Amino acid sequence: MDIDTDIQMEDAIDDPQSTTNQTSFFNNALNSQPPVDILSSDVNQLDAWIETLGQCKPLGEDSVKQLCKMAIDVLKSEDNVQPVSVPVTICGDVHGQFHDLMELFKIGGPCPDTNYLFMGDYVDRGYYSVETVSYLVAMKVRYPKRITILRGNHESRQITQVYGFYDECLRKYGSANVWKLFTDLFDYFPITALVDNKIFCLHGGLSPMIETIDQVRELNRIQEVPHEGPMCDLLWSDPDDRSGWGISPRGAGFTFGQDISEQFNHFNDLQLIARAHQLVMEGYSWSHQEQVVTIFSAPNYCYRCGNQAAIMEVNENLDREFLTYDPSVRPGEPTVTRKTPDYFL
Amino acid sequence: MLADTVFIEPVRRIVTDEDLKIWKDSDTHKEVVCFVETLSKSVRGKKISDIDIIVSENCNCILNILQDIEIIFKKHPVVSDREASRFGKPEFRDFYDDLHENISHILGQRILALSQYSNENDPRIELAVYLNESFGNRTRIDYGSGHELNFICFLLCLRNLGILNLEKDSQALVLKIFYNYIKLMRSLQKEYWLEPAGSHGVWGLDDYHFLPFLFGASQLSTHEFLKPKSIHNKEVVEMFAPDYFYFECINFINEVKTESLRWHSPMLDDISGVKTWSKVEEGMFKMFQGEVLNKLPIVQHFFFGNIIKCPQGISEARTNDDESLPVHSHFGDSCGIKVPAAFGAAEFNKRAKPLPFD
Repeated sequence: MDIDTDIQMEDAIDDPQSTTNQTSFFNNALNSQPPVDILSSDVNQLDAWIETLGQCKPLGEDSVKQLCKMAIDVLKSEDNVQPVSVPVTICGDVHGQFHDLMELFKIGGPCPDTNYLFMGDYVDRGYYSVETVSYLVAMKVRYPKRITILRGNHESRQITQVYGFYDECLRKYGSANVWKLFTDLFDYFPITALVDNKIFCLHGGLSPMIETIDQVRELNRIQEVPHEGPMCDLLWSDPDDRSGWGISPRGAGFTFGQDISEQFNHFNDLQLIARAHQLVMEGYSWSHQEQVVTIFSAPNYCYRCGNQAAIMEVNENLDREFLTYDPSVRPGEPTVTRKTPDYFL
Repeated sequence: MLADTVFIEPVRRIVTDEDLKIWKDSDTHKEVVCFVETLSKSVRGKKISDIDIIVSENCNCILNILQDIEIIFKKHPVVSDREASRFGKPEFRDFYDDLHENISHILGQRILALSQYSNENDPRIELAVYLNESFGNRTRIDYGSGHELNFICFLLCLRNLGILNLEKDSQALVLKIFYNYIKLMRSLQKEYWLEPAGSHGVWGLDDYHFLPFLFGASQLSTHEFLKPKSIHNKEVVEMFAPDYFYFECINFINEVKTESLRWHSPMLDDISGVKTWSKVEEGMFKMFQGEVLNKLPIVQHFFFGNIIKCPQGISEARTNDDESLPVHSHFGDSCGIKVPAAFGAAEFNKRAKPLPFD
């Protein structure tokens, strides 16, 4: 096993209080700064959290607050187009299916031994969004070089209020505080990644306002996912059989055809666009003559779709291999106690 | 009834939070709430199989319409897995288009009372939209409680036109017509793998429906030994599914989902802890208003015509076609999509946009 440099770093962490200047924020300027290092006391704390979360037990509100603060320090220094080196295992939507995420790490190999790149949508719909996103964020802070977590369209205040994460936080913590902490943190997640300069990874797809990867670097990403514009498109668009740009039936983002993907990949000297965002029955699906791949990592989505899940391993030679898996066996019943919804009191 | 009404093609109107506020306080909102409340109360203590339910001639007409739609459905089975990577089956669109083409004809043929209207001013232009939209979204191949609401609006239109009489027909409306509608929807959901529209996942009440839970709780509100916690007993659920909407829904969920209710339906599990069905009924009625009628992601798709009127002060009509929203002007003109003038696009961008769907 390689020595994990993330564990070796010993420099003291900057005072987190002084580093949360959000308004005058330029990603490019920050890229040249050295990455934030973690204290050994933080390592112990993180390891303890990871152990708790690994048993699918949520952290207390204070711990979430502390974790999110540490995560902001790590994530804000990442680029809009976060460079990732090979080998790496690329994953799609998880949507709160915590037990299936644990299965993913069994299939793909434990983190940090295996490098991971997640392409967003950690929360909403599943039972364990809180545990899932807490776990991934804790892993990110603990092993910042080993795991990359991008933003999906569900990592948003507006979307989580409709699709379950908000309800779940309210149900599990009795208030929206934890929801607020996480959705504030989501603003810092990088929006795309570039694997070995050849595989462009993002949650949704292309934008008619983005022709070059450099244009993504110029965006100010530290904000709620906007309703339109390039940042919105990158998180919402879908590939389509029809050529050119099309209006998305989702009401955000666009559909893009093979001509668009070919042009983008050619112009940016890319081999492939890897994205998530759509349920695909085999867990992965090629489109646009292997210019685009969709990866979906939530098996039997919502307990009924019967789909397989997949992850994509990319080795040092940029060879790709897909690993597919079925839902993990759920252990017993959920431990959350019954609570009568307000409408029924 | 509605003698002086000029019938128009219904359109979506609600976009902003302001619109929502006006809608919540409106007479139309009240009209829908009262309609649903009357339907719900009329089936207290009644079973679907009760033989004393009077089915009027016009109610029978609507049952025939549902049969006609079922015939159209059977004409479009899922034949292939045409690059079946995506979830919803594209044959649903063939069904939808076939229905769309024939719906006006079916309405005219089945509901004889409509023949009193002239071709120039025909309420079918309104009825057809509500009925067609009751079966799901063509583009997204999905279905949710908003589509179910369209079916209620279709019935409400028929009531407002004087074709249905709420006093005499309400039991048949719920236990015959709405029941057959749900039966047909179950076939569509299974055949075309309709995606749950706007699903909250495990944190919602149900992937597709709302009203069967309200009507079902009302049916059970006078029952002597069945209690809300009976939903956990599979035999009970199977045995009573043909008689009570609530158990039909639980049975369907048990059929299509893996693991137990506690995993995939914590909300239903929570509600099963409520002591009595009448308390569940009360809660469902409040929840119908809170989570369906008053939720922007759902009512931004609510259609208004001149039978179900839009309250004054709400945003002007948008186009009914999801796919014809104007786009920015600099995308290039060779993509086969409409490219409006920059001025128009800028104007459009200032207007509120509906919430995106995922």
